[in-house]
Amino acid sequence: MKKILALALAAALSLSLASCGGGNNGGNPGGNSGSSAGTPNSGSGGDASNTGGNADFKVGAIYINSQNDTAGYTFQHHNGITTAMKDLGMDPASQLLIVDTVPEDDTLVANAIDTLVNQGANIIFGISYGYIDAMADKAEEYKDVIFSHGTGWKNNDTNFNNYFGRIYQARYLAGIAAGMKSLEQKNNSIGYVAAFNREYAETCSGINAFALGVQSVNPDATVYVNKINTWGDETLERQAAQALIDTHDCVVISQHCDSAQPQMVAMENGRFGCGYNSDMTDQAPNAHLTSAVWHWNVYYQTAIQAAMDCKGDASQFVSKMNGNAYYAGLAEGFVDASPLNENVAAPNTKAVMDAVRDLIISGDWDVFSGVKLSYNIGEDGSVEIVKTDAPLMSDGFELKDGQLVEMAPEIVPAGGSPIDDGVIKGSMNYNVAGVVEG
Amino acid sequence: MRQQPLLRVVKRDRAGLPVQAAAYLTAILAAVLTGAVLLLIQGVDPLDFYGQMFTLAIPGSRYPWRMVENYIKLFVPLLIVSLALALAFKMRFWNIGGEGQFIIGALCASAAAMKLGEQLPQPVMLLVMSLCGLCGGGLYGVFAAGLKVKWGTNETLLTLMLNYLALYLLQFFAETKAPWNLFLDTASARPKFARFPDSAQMLLVPIGPFRLNLSLVAAGLLCAALFVYLKYAKGGYEIAVVGDSPSTARYAGMRVGRIVLRTIFLSAALIGLAGAFYVSTAGILSASVTNDVGWTGVVVAWLAKLNTLGIVATSALITVLQYGCQTASTSYPAIDANFANLLQGVILFLVLAADFFVRFRIVVRGRNGKEDSK
Repeated sequence: MKKILALALAAALSLSLASCGGGNNGGNPGGNSGSSAGTPNSGSGGDASNTGGNADFKVGAIYINSQNDTAGYTFQHHNGITTAMKDLGMDPASQLLIVDTVPEDDTLVANAIDTLVNQGANIIFGISYGYIDAMADKAEEYKDVIFSHGTGWKNNDTNFNNYFGRIYQARYLAGIAAGMKSLEQKNNSIGYVAAFNREYAETCSGINAFALGVQSVNPDATVYVNKINTWGDETLERQAAQALIDTHDCVVISQHCDSAQPQMVAMENGRFGCGYNSDMTDQAPNAHLTSAVWHWNVYYQTAIQAAMDCKGDASQFVSKMNGNAYYAGLAEGFVDASPLNENVAAPNTKAVMDAVRDLIISGDWDVFSGVKLSYNIGEDGSVEIVKTDAPLMSDGFELKDGQLVEMAPEIVPAGGSPIDDGVIKGSMNYNVAGVVEG
Repeated sequence: MRQQPLLRVVKRDRAGLPVQAAAYLTAILAAVLTGAVLLLIQGVDPLDFYGQMFTLAIPGSRYPWRMVENYIKLFVPLLIVSLALALAFKMRFWNIGGEGQFIIGALCASAAAMKLGEQLPQPVMLLVMSLCGLCGGGLYGVFAAGLKVKWGTNETLLTLMLNYLALYLLQFFAETKAPWNLFLDTASARPKFARFPDSAQMLLVPIGPFRLNLSLVAAGLLCAALFVYLKYAKGGYEIAVVGDSPSTARYAGMRVGRIVLRTIFLSAALIGLAGAFYVSTAGILSASVTNDVGWTGVVVAWLAKLNTLGIVATSALITVLQYGCQTASTSYPAIDANFANLLQGVILFLVLAADFFVRFRIVVRGRNGKEDSK
């Protein structure tokens, strides 16, 4: 908007000044000053009942997009925070302070933090990765305020933690649904529209977990990754999905990108899909199987509760949270596969997913380990999980400093225990065998 | 006889100061009232909102001096960029490449910081960064000016397009992990800009709990220097003459091409300097480093009628508007940054409308098709 205004001004400047003598000059400073925001009221119906002594507690949040978004990353976090606050008997209308649309610029993030601290925030959540340095600095500066940074890796031992989830566990479950469908359709090609691949552990761990889930059902399947190099662009997402179907005849389209376009493309082509972030069955009722979803309120409720338990001593936050890095998964209900669309899914899919979900929740097995799963499905639909020791193999390449270089393909030896560090610390930079980019 | 159009815009004789002041006050009042109505629709008390907005919520805040420091961080780049743009606009050179020149200045200063930050002491390092910012921004701007002088290209289009070139270059550095990319933090698995060494951080002079950012002092000196330059120096006079009429300037024996190049270099170099100040204050580069200052600067320069003192006042007010809106909206869930932008847009637009009506008037066609008066 500002750009339009500036351009209009430049135009007005040149028109009105360049012809100074002429009286009949319509130097009309045109250019509409942006359309109305038309913000829907975000249902801030305050039922501030049973505020057990925490009525003064203020939660601060810094968002990358608008707090009034109705979908997407910021929406999910905002929804998670307000849900958590309501569940804790707090009133978001009066106890939640927000600075939104803050770009990943240290000065602007630091300013936002100062504003929140000045208005009395007791805990500050920053949801975007690029807020990392400003949050780390400010956590040292304001020792009496708690800082909590989503998707990052910096922290301290007192008032600053970071949080993210084991979304790869949910991806594995979605992979099972995709694998079952590919077996049913007798088509071993599965597509994956990805924002990035090996560039981020967040993306390649999702691809890998999904592929391992697929292979647990259909060992012959290949996951074709089409990378769009941006976290969200509806046109590119649509084109990438179509290209996967056209070139590789993919029968299921999974995705790591913002919109439901890949699922809609799958439906238009009579194929199937696994979404991300939200249940996309509404957008593609005849194609969508299940989505890997986040339940951010699980974290926010835990963190706000712990912050309130500190009773004013912010330095206890990390110990109340049992550590300065929070990585919960299926067991805590932080991530999950959305309810299976059983009208579309292959028979017995739900039973297998439920069995594996229980196994992961029990803590006896995790995705990136030296034990592979396969399933015996009885006539009556009962599922028996078979564990086989087998090495976790990469495709032999890793991404280092922007270059694809060879690596020893064995990641975990047969029977080896799970490595989730690579995902959590963000160092995973390879694809497992059976994933093909392009 | 050709019929006059129903409505015509006619230039006014110079309106007196009281008329001008009244027009602007009315415009601001109308904008504030419009905003109040919008706020009421959203269920927000306008008095409380405006109170917080115009005071930056400083009364009753825990660290009031911090708000002032932050205000200065936003104010200085806008001030310098607006001053620099006004310099070019005076010459009727429509430099709307502020964004690009700011980015290139910031990039050059950052490169110096990453490369030499470990070796040089802080004052020297800051000087080197400022010089790099000056040269980087200046050369980027003078490229467009050179093409105009040599081949008469359109500088509006060229500087506009160069903005995007600079922006994508910056994004390229922000997202490309490679051994040669000196801007990135090697400790991070994801690409992310590295923090500058300590010596490349802007000097802060502690005054009690308040830390005075030296770039503010530099900006103040710059204002004074530009004021003198434009008012008393030969160079400033030449700018005005070239702006009024290049032919007159040529007739008077001025070397117009050289004056254009010199002035645009100065304009773009100052914008680059603002970029250098910004990154050394932040102590780190970022992919959205400009904070739209190249665009807002055009608005400021225009509102202030290219007057140096006017620019100081206008950029100070616009910064209050921007930062105050954000601060005030923090405690209202219904008010997001888009609304703050909308409010700013309304205010700017109405003030510009007032500006228009101060300089022009609308004449309705007379009954007999003749002009009423002139």
